[in-house]
Amino acid sequence: MDSLAYKDDMSNGSQVNVQNSLQLIAFSIGEQTYGVEITTVREIRAWNGATPLPNTREYVRGVINLRGTIVPIFDLRARFGEGQTSPTKNHVVVVMSVGEKWVGILVDAVSDILTVSKDDIHAVPEGNTMDTELLNGIVTHESRMVGLIDLHAVVSGAKMDG
Amino acid sequence: MSDLDDFKATFFDECSELLGELEEQFAAIEAGDRTANRLNAVFRAVHSIKGGGGAFGFVEMVAFAHAYETLLDHVRDGRIELSDPVTVLCIRANDLLADFVKAARTGASLGPGYGADERAQFDALTRGEPIGSHGGDAGGAPMDEFDIDFVPVMVDLAPSAAAAPAPAEDSFANLPLTAERGHWEIHFAPHSELYSRANDPLLLFRELGNLGELTVTAKLGEIPPLADFEPYGIYCSWELTLVSPTATAASIAEVFEFVEGNCDLSIALLAGANNPPAEPTLDELAALVMPPVADDGPGLSFADLAETLKTEAPVRAPAAAPILLRPAEPAPMSAAEESDADRRGGEADRRTAVQSIRVDLDKVDRVVNMVGELVITQSMLTQQMDDTLRARYQELVRGLEVLAQTTRGLQDAVMAIRAQPVKSVFSRMPRLVRDLAQKTGKKIKLETIGEATEIDKTVIEQLSDPLTHMIRNSCDHGIETPEARRALGKPEIGTIRLSAEQAGGNILIAVEDDGGGINRDRVLQVARDRLVIGPDQQLTEEQIDNLIFAPGFSTATEVSDISGRGVGMDVVLSNIKKIGGSVHVRSRTGQGTRMTLRLPLTLAVLDVMLVRVGPSPYVVPLSSIVETIQCSRADFGRAPSGAKVLRVRGEYVQVVDLAERFELTGGAELANRFVVLCEAEGGTKVALVVDDIIGQQQVVIKSLEENFESIDGIAGGTILGDGNVALIVDVQGLKAQKLHKNAA
Amino acid sequence: MRVLTVDDSRTILAMLHHTLSNAGFEVLQAEDGQKGLDVLATEAVDVVITDINMPVMDGIEFIKNVRASGQHNSLPILILTTETSQDKRDQGRAAGGTGWIVKPFDPEKLISVINRVVH
Repeated sequence: MDSLAYKDDMSNGSQVNVQNSLQLIAFSIGEQTYGVEITTVREIRAWNGATPLPNTREYVRGVINLRGTIVPIFDLRARFGEGQTSPTKNHVVVVMSVGEKWVGILVDAVSDILTVSKDDIHAVPEGNTMDTELLNGIVTHESRMVGLIDLHAVVSGAKMDG
Repeated sequence: MSDLDDFKATFFDECSELLGELEEQFAAIEAGDRTANRLNAVFRAVHSIKGGGGAFGFVEMVAFAHAYETLLDHVRDGRIELSDPVTVLCIRANDLLADFVKAARTGASLGPGYGADERAQFDALTRGEPIGSHGGDAGGAPMDEFDIDFVPVMVDLAPSAAAAPAPAEDSFANLPLTAERGHWEIHFAPHSELYSRANDPLLLFRELGNLGELTVTAKLGEIPPLADFEPYGIYCSWELTLVSPTATAASIAEVFEFVEGNCDLSIALLAGANNPPAEPTLDELAALVMPPVADDGPGLSFADLAETLKTEAPVRAPAAAPILLRPAEPAPMSAAEESDADRRGGEADRRTAVQSIRVDLDKVDRVVNMVGELVITQSMLTQQMDDTLRARYQELVRGLEVLAQTTRGLQDAVMAIRAQPVKSVFSRMPRLVRDLAQKTGKKIKLETIGEATEIDKTVIEQLSDPLTHMIRNSCDHGIETPEARRALGKPEIGTIRLSAEQAGGNILIAVEDDGGGINRDRVLQVARDRLVIGPDQQLTEEQIDNLIFAPGFSTATEVSDISGRGVGMDVVLSNIKKIGGSVHVRSRTGQGTRMTLRLPLTLAVLDVMLVRVGPSPYVVPLSSIVETIQCSRADFGRAPSGAKVLRVRGEYVQVVDLAERFELTGGAELANRFVVLCEAEGGTKVALVVDDIIGQQQVVIKSLEENFESIDGIAGGTILGDGNVALIVDVQGLKAQKLHKNAA
Repeated sequence: MRVLTVDDSRTILAMLHHTLSNAGFEVLQAEDGQKGLDVLATEAVDVVITDINMPVMDGIEFIKNVRASGQHNSLPILILTTETSQDKRDQGRAAGGTGWIVKPFDPEKLISVINRVVH
């Protein structure tokens, strides 16, 4: 859905203006930079452990207590199939809203807030199945490639079958 | 007239329902239940029959229903005691009402004297005379002797274009030019209530305009400086001049009928004034003085009003300046006195209204949650007190005890706010049973017991669907056809008993029928066909009965469309589990089935045992725990299948190692681990093996599904005193899962 | 123009529907006050006609709830009543009712009363 919305504005030149720009929170997994729209981010907190959930995929790190509600934490590195993160106190959980739900994404670090033009968003190149599944698009910012995370895709299918 | 016939058919259908309802209510009343709700239902039923009858001009029926309704009204508000003789009279009245309905349907006449004796008794009772004092002399009294302030009107449903209200232009055109025109002077000052009831001065003016030529002048002197302007303040009043030969004080007052008491109103006839006022027209003026934004709220929009007033109004208003003649005849009709009375009445209302307030449920929930956390903090504090501390700080100990007590009291009080009688759900069921009985051609009687039992509002809301399902199930699968029942020597009418009672910290809600019981051969067959269980799996009768709640098991498709709608009883189980409850079924072949829902009194707090599995804390609801055993002393064995079992007092119990099941690496040696022996539904047991037992405490249940999804074997989560999340073990779910896996 | 009719009597609902739809109104129906509120939560209507005596939630409570929501301050609500005694009518008005219609209603009177309270 989001990816379609991005493509709607392709015709409007390349100048960054308020209507046509997007603010992203950028974070890193190893060398890779990813981003989510800033309006979906609720909170950024340091990693402080999570209670593991049984019968879930390895990228579900468990649940934490966020001011009285239980919020699941997804390990983004593991989600991209690159093995579980070994989190330290320096790792960061980005809490964001996906539809009605709040979820946390475990990342290495939050790097920046970026303003990008919607016109600079490109389709994800075919090839890497994980990327096409989990990204809405790719945007280049100051020669950095930023993958736009499709949150709905990231959190789906978390339960083990059977 | 086929429309009318349709309505009549609807009406008579409804009458049969209402008469049935009357019968049902009085059966309960006779049995001693005289709660206000029964009387209200009775009153409503009679009232509806009267209302519908009136629409069709069934004069005799309406007259009788009216007299009966009046009696019921007196009974309802306690002016007449519902003594046994009065009850008998009412039951007699129900029969008579049924006769009137029947006569109306068949077009027969019962004659004017029919029911007159009873009506005379109603009247005597409502006059305050004791029952029976009236004697027999009333027989045959003609109906018009009774004081009927309700006049039945025959409705002509054919749309009548000719009689449609004439538009304003026509009224002007039709005015006889030569007639002496009445010149009326109307002062109209709305109160804020007028706007809060969605009355609109513009509409009143429009209607007045239909009576004659109308001039409207807004009085704007009350408008305060901008700084003092309140958005919902009432600053505008109007002077109106109506010139009409036909208008009377009554016809003008009728226009203001709906706003009587909500405005200052005076209507006066100017003697001899016959000069029709000049321009501007009503529409122009109305547009001028009525800001168009009045639609959006009870008051006037500040910006628009200010704009209108500043520029146009002062210029235009004098053009229509009213003639300031105060005529002596006739006296101005004033609403001022009445509105004073209203205001006094309003104060009295406010005094009684203080006794209850409307509170947003979210606010109550916030309090409930906080109290839940408080209870936990308090129990944590208490646990911190070891013997040394106890000996040293006796004051602190006493303080904590008081805190514990107060916290419990607070918790109870808060939960009471959310508690509601189950009646609100139970009351929907009689109709369901009637409908189902009709559809299936069965005869079914519904008995309800314990309707006043109170339970948390959230639980009540979740109860309607499962109960509906269970009752559908009983009607469809339980109760036999009247013929079958007769053949079995059972009463033709099947009984479904719906009951609620409080048992300790739980509410038990049972649906019990006296039907054929669960057909176990059939259930077993279906369960095997659908691979709910393995082909060779042996089950006890109780286990078979409980199969009807298994996911994937639904006999609905081939049976009928009633219980089905594509979902089976597993929905009942999952709904009930969601609110922390459990379902238990017990069936006797040929004698009936009883399904019991065990529900928590409150959803807020759960007593649990805190255990450790691998590195993670888990909690097990205390209500399901039978005992705990050290593994070193436990008597483990192997079932023929190779599955691990535990021998307890001669019974073999299925063993679920939580570390294995949840794939957590424990590392603890078996001898140091513990068995938590739990009782699942149906009295069957399951032995959970955990790494350590930490202690008991109370927790607040939190949903996993709110931000994630449900997980098999986990009933939810909770937040421990240290801020970490612990998961709540779903004992029933673990067991069901096991059964399922073995089968596959 | 949309009318919400709230009455526990199917007969009355059917008759209101007939009369109102003949007069060109779009008619929505609810069987009690609670269901009426449910309709108002999702549907926009121009005028409400409600019975007083109903199970679950009676007309008075219904009107109070509609007004209390704050979103329907200018929605005209007509009370449908056979009560010739003033008190039900007065209670209905005090709760926020705009006007009333006396049952049994004749079609013309019904339409003319609606026209008195809607634009």
